Amino acid sequence: MTQARKLVKRRNSIRNIRKITRTMELISTARFSRAMNRATAAVAYTERITKLVGDLVRAGLEATHPLLQEQPEPRRALMLVLTGNRGMCAGYNSSVLRLGYAQLNELRNNLPEVCLEVSGKRGISAFRFRKIEPDETFTHFEDKPSFEEVDVLADRYIEWFETGRIDRLNVVYVKFDSISKQQAVVETLLPLTELVGDEQPDEAPPGDRQHEFFPSAESILDEVVPMSFKVKLFKCFLDAAVSEQVARMLAMKAATENADGMIRQLTMIYNRARQGQITSELLEIIGGAEALSG
Amino acid sequence: MVTMPELQCIVVTPEQTVLDEPAEFVAVTLFDGELGIAPGHTPMIGRLGCGEMRTTYCGRVDRYYVEGGFIEVLGNVVSVLTNRAVPAEQLEEAVVQEQLFSAQERPADTPELMAVRDRAVEQYRAQLRVARRT
Repeated sequence: MTQARKLVKRRNSIRNIRKITRTMELISTARFSRAMNRATAAVAYTERITKLVGDLVRAGLEATHPLLQEQPEPRRALMLVLTGNRGMCAGYNSSVLRLGYAQLNELRNNLPEVCLEVSGKRGISAFRFRKIEPDETFTHFEDKPSFEEVDVLADRYIEWFETGRIDRLNVVYVKFDSISKQQAVVETLLPLTELVGDEQPDEAPPGDRQHEFFPSAESILDEVVPMSFKVKLFKCFLDAAVSEQVARMLAMKAATENADGMIRQLTMIYNRARQGQITSELLEIIGGAEALSG
Repeated sequence: MVTMPELQCIVVTPEQTVLDEPAEFVAVTLFDGELGIAPGHTPMIGRLGCGEMRTTYCGRVDRYYVEGGFIEVLGNVVSVLTNRAVPAEQLEEAVVQEQLFSAQERPADTPELMAVRDRAVEQYRAQLRVARRT
């Protein structure tokens, strides 16, 4: 009977784990849809600011701003790695960290000074494990990064860039392309290569839309450029949050399905063992009875 | 009777779309003072300051506190891009007053800190003005 009892014990523990993974799946599904809504809501701003930049450029304005200027000889770089605070999300953290290490090594080989900032407990402990101490760490960006929190960071980066404390800002995060595709990427946010978004504003014939500017096109551009950097940084955080939830959702779904399969298999083995035991007991009784009568 | 053309007033922050409604008249606070926009306004782009935004529609006036950003007017569409937009009734005078005092008391011994403090004080004063008008 020991074999069968062992099987029952194992099956029960798998059932318990299944309950946990199933609950986590449901939680991350809810969090994912919330994060997704936030990400889509943020798109409206990006679209409008892209249009605004398009209108400014069409007004014949040359886009020059300290944030757009590339240093001919960059010396100091800052790398920001966005990871999750929690595990249980398959390859999410490891993919971004793997890219992060590679990027960090590459930067350190090319530039004399590299600063490392890490967001998320997973990333912090992973870097510490490799004896790399991050210069700055954040753990307060959960699945709902707010613009206000990102704004503080962005202001600091802008100031550092303008005062020459950093010449380049790279962000390593998991970009959300679609629900079935998320990819760890490195993006250079400073110097800004293009103002907001990849899409080019549609060309309209010049002259038919003459804007008035208050106070002047230049001063508006001065404000638009930092703003578009902030929005981009904010989008990185939002993308990372959405990707993390998707990864966790899928990982937990797979775990639940796996547990189901194991439970099925164990039940089968258990039934077989039980049947075998009954058969052998019957045989013993029959054997015994025959021995007595014979 | 010819119907008056209407404005479409859209207010977006990096986090969400706060408002997307028709309006007959919109007033916003630019960096140097208030600007009123009625249908048929010339296309314009302006820098916003901190202060009140009012929209009038069918005799109803909605008031918001808007913190910096830009406004674009183009063909009866008023787009306001701002860091923060809060309905005026959600601002509580006592709370804002408290925040203003604590901002004023903040130590500022470098030019940067002073700039930060001044900006915070200016924002809270603007909030207070909006809150008091309710």
